[in-house]
Amino acid sequence: MNTIVALLATFPIVFFFSLLFEGIDRKIHARMQKRIGPPIIQPFYDFIKLFNKERIVPVTAASGIFTAVPIIAAAVSILGAAIPVVNLITGTSIVGDLILVLYLLAMSSVMVMIGGSSSGNPYGAIGFSRKMTMMIAYEIPMLISIASLSFNPCFSLAYYDVVATQIRMKSLLAFTRLSMAVAAATFLLCVPAAADAVPFDISEAKTEIIHGSLIEYGGPYLALIKLAKAASNFTLAFLAATLFFYVPALFEGYVSLGLGVALCLCLVTSLIFMLLTTTVPRTIFARLKIGQAFKFYWLIPLTLSMLSVALSIVGL
Amino acid sequence: MSVTARSRIKSPWLFHLNTGSCNGCDLEIVAALTPRYDVERLGCVLVGSPRHADVLLVTGPVTRQMLPRVIRVYEQVPEPKVVVAIGSCASSGSPFLGSQMIEGPLDKIIPVDVYVAGCPPRPEAIVMGIVTAVKRKFG
Repeated sequence: MNTIVALLATFPIVFFFSLLFEGIDRKIHARMQKRIGPPIIQPFYDFIKLFNKERIVPVTAASGIFTAVPIIAAAVSILGAAIPVVNLITGTSIVGDLILVLYLLAMSSVMVMIGGSSSGNPYGAIGFSRKMTMMIAYEIPMLISIASLSFNPCFSLAYYDVVATQIRMKSLLAFTRLSMAVAAATFLLCVPAAADAVPFDISEAKTEIIHGSLIEYGGPYLALIKLAKAASNFTLAFLAATLFFYVPALFEGYVSLGLGVALCLCLVTSLIFMLLTTTVPRTIFARLKIGQAFKFYWLIPLTLSMLSVALSIVGL
Repeated sequence: MSVTARSRIKSPWLFHLNTGSCNGCDLEIVAALTPRYDVERLGCVLVGSPRHADVLLVTGPVTRQMLPRVIRVYEQVPEPKVVVAIGSCASSGSPFLGSQMIEGPLDKIIPVDVYVAGCPPRPEAIVMGIVTAVKRKFG
């Protein structure tokens, strides 16, 4: 019961930080292009504006699915972002909640895909098929990189167990074992595709297929989908920052950090990871073709994830 | 000013509609979106679908072929919306006025909020037009 109340209390925090992170991302992106860029609270303006616009459902759309999908996507991805945050705050976890978080992350992408295909727009359908291909490409290495945690003795698929192990070892997981360093690299390589950032934004290429699945969405529906995307980007960065690089663990053994300080350190680390994995690639690279992206993911991250499993089994 | 009104002013998303323009105004719109003028600092983003847009940037004297499309695109933009007529052709029909191929100027077809004159108008004028339109309509 307490967990559910804590989870609901975390929703506004997640809402605030996911939109704030998006704002910082857009600001840094602009500064890297020598522009002034939008204010950091720009995503909040966008959200409020979109939320107060007219609702339009196209005649060609399957209206039930079309209108339900954004709500499910937003709910699912905010829940996915709230679970790790709440587990970190309360210091408990449910067995296998990492699988749940990954499932919720995939679920929000699937929802957006379904929304695109139910819109009746051919570009939506192209967006659907491209996103499907991309998910096959990046989901497998990402799942293996998380699952390889459980191949090690004393780790499990419970989120807080991994964090607690790092605190006990007074070190970051990625630096303790070779297999975990490889798994962290795999996860970080998969983040830009999961976040639909530019080299891998093939499924919603604006100049090519006009936002893909999002093409027919407007007003409040679009606001919810944008929120879902921001929340899943936040989750990805937060997972990377706490599962593999739980920075407070470096200090925990020497001075007792308060919960607030530990959480702030985690947020700062996740911001840095988001900048490195999303903002920098999206500023310096151009969009890949779907074949190139698929080849990349099945060549490098998949090999790395297999390597991490092999190393775990060997015991490194 | 309410939070909603402020958000609307701070985040005008643009949709560009060419209704038979000579491409001069379209190039100037593209120029206005470059990092030199950086309209993103005003919250402007160029979107590809009219369903995402708040501001409709229309160029060209509306040709007969484009007439139903202009109306359809206008109706696809969710309320509240702003229409900015870019260039002399969209504003007044300019040299094409009176031609039997032309159904324009634009304000005969859809309500226009701001006219940006010029053949083509400078990027600064286009940015000014967008800002004025948004402030006047939502402020």
